[in-house]
Amino acid sequence: MGKVQIYEPFKGGLPPVRPYFSDVWRRREFISAYSRSELRAQNFGSVFGQLWLILNPLILAFVYYLLIIVIGGNSGSERFAHLTAGLFLFYFITNSMIAGSKSITSGGKLVLNSAFPRLILPISATVISFFKFLPTFFVLGVIHLTLGLPIGPELFYLLPVLVAAIIFALGISILTSILNVYFRDTRNFLPYFTRAWLYLSPVLYTAEQLKPSLKPISYLNPLYTFLGSWTDILIKGVAPSLANFITMFSWAIAVLVIAVFMFMRREREFALRI
Amino acid sequence: MLFESEAHNAGQIAISVRNLNLIYKTTVQKKPTFRQALTRTGRKIRTVNALSNLTLEIPYGSVLGVIGANGAGKSSLMRVVAGIVPPTTGRVEVYGQVSTLLSLGVGFNARLTGRENVILGGLAAGLTRAEIEAQFSAIADFADIGEAIDSPMKTYSAGMYSRLAFAVAVVVEPDVLIVDEALSTGDAKFKKKSLEKIKTLRGDNRAIILVSHALATIKEICNDVIWLDKGKIVMRGNPEEVVAAYKESLQVAKSSSADEDL
Repeated sequence: MGKVQIYEPFKGGLPPVRPYFSDVWRRREFISAYSRSELRAQNFGSVFGQLWLILNPLILAFVYYLLIIVIGGNSGSERFAHLTAGLFLFYFITNSMIAGSKSITSGGKLVLNSAFPRLILPISATVISFFKFLPTFFVLGVIHLTLGLPIGPELFYLLPVLVAAIIFALGISILTSILNVYFRDTRNFLPYFTRAWLYLSPVLYTAEQLKPSLKPISYLNPLYTFLGSWTDILIKGVAPSLANFITMFSWAIAVLVIAVFMFMRREREFALRI
Repeated sequence: MLFESEAHNAGQIAISVRNLNLIYKTTVQKKPTFRQALTRTGRKIRTVNALSNLTLEIPYGSVLGVIGANGAGKSSLMRVVAGIVPPTTGRVEVYGQVSTLLSLGVGFNARLTGRENVILGGLAAGLTRAEIEAQFSAIADFADIGEAIDSPMKTYSAGMYSRLAFAVAVVVEPDVLIVDEALSTGDAKFKKKSLEKIKTLRGDNRAIILVSHALATIKEICNDVIWLDKGKIVMRGNPEEVVAAYKESLQVAKSSSADEDL
C-alpha cells in the first residue's frame, strides 16, 4: 500500500517538525522558479526592463543624497558612499518585510486549492528581495573604486554580516506574513513603519552623529548593528567586533526561530482566513 | 504518470472519512482589521457548521458525484479531503496521491504566464521540474489554448482559464482526482473531451470525486452519488435515484433547465 495521508483536528501544536522541513526542502525548486518568474514579470513591459534592478537603488540613493544636501548635513563623497551602502542593505531588509506581508494573502488561489507547507511563500518573498538586492553590489563596487575606498581582507567580513542580515530579513518576512493574515491593515501600516525605521537607523546620518541622549535607540534597534558593521567595513575598512557579531546573529536567529514557530502553529488556519 | 502510484484494485478504500465536522467561525465583516481587533465588542461572530458528522468511504474504481445546493458543504468537503483545511473534529484518511481541486493552484499569480503558473503549481504540489516538464506538452495539448500559454494569465478568458486548470488536473493522473465545478465554463467541444478523459480515468481504477450542478453529467459518468444539504448527507446511492430525489426536492423535476448540461 502506498502512502497514507491522515487529516485530523488541529490542536494548536506544531505539525511534525522533521517531515515539515523535508517538505519545505523538497519545494526549493518552487522557491527558485517563483522568484525568477516574479522578477521577470515585475519588470516585463517597462522600457528599461531588468535595468530597473540597478536604476531603482541608484535613484533612491540620489534622492536621499539630495535631502542630506538640502538639510545641510555633511555631504562629502564619503558621506555618499556611506548613504548608499546603508540604504541598500536597509531596503533589502524592509523590502523583504513588505513582500513577506503580502506573500500569504496574495497567494490566495494557491493557498485555497493546494496543500503544501505555506512557509515557502514568505521564503520566496525574501529570496525575491535578495535578488533585487544583488545588483546593488555592482553599484557599490563602482562607487567603492571611484572614491578609492579601502580595499583589504576586511571586506571578507561583509559575508557573515550579509548572512546575518538574510536570516534577519527572512525572520521578519515570516512574521509580517502571519500578521497580515490576521490583520489586513498591516500592509497599509508597514510603509510608515519602514519610513520611521529608516530615520531611527544610521543611514541618513552616521552612528557617531547620534545625540548621546538618543543612544538607547541603538540598543533597541537591531538594524543599528547591522548597518553600522556593514558601513564600517565598506567605508573605513574596519572589521566588526565580536560583540557586534554576537548581537547580529542573536537578533537574526531569535527572530527567525520565533517567526517559524508562530508560523507553523498558525498556518493550518490560513486557508480559513484568506 | 507523474505521481508514483501503484496499481489499485477496484474496491480498495481510497478515502475514508469518519465523523467529520467542520465549523467555520467568521466575523460578519469580511476582512479582519486592527480596528475590529481593538473593538472586539462591536463585531458579530457567525458560526457555520459547514460539515456535520459526515462518515463515508470511497473505494478505488469509483466516480463519486457530489450534488447539493450552494452552501451545502461540497467544496468544504473537498478541501478537507485534500488536506487544505483541517477538520474541526473527526478523521480523514487518504490512501494515495491527491490532485486537489483541479488546477494544482493554476493561476495563483495572474501576472505570470500560463506556463509559469502550471510549473509553479506543480512544484508547490511537490512534483519535480522534470516530472512537470515531461507532461507539459500533454497539458498544453489538452488545454488547447494555443500560444496563449505564454501570455500572462490576466489576459485569459474564463474559458481558457478553466481549460488549463482542468488539463493540469487530469493529465497528471493522480490516484485520487477531485474535480470541483470544473466543467462548467468550457464550450461544448471541450466539455465532451473532458468527459471522455474522466471516463478513461475511471477505467484505470482511480478514485474520482466530481462536484457539479450538472445533473446530466453526474448521471452519465458517476457510479455513486451523495447529496449534501447543510453539511449532512441526505442520500447516497445509485445516481439515477439520488439525482431524481434531489430534483424532486428542488421541485424542478419538470423543468428542463436543471437537466441542461452544465
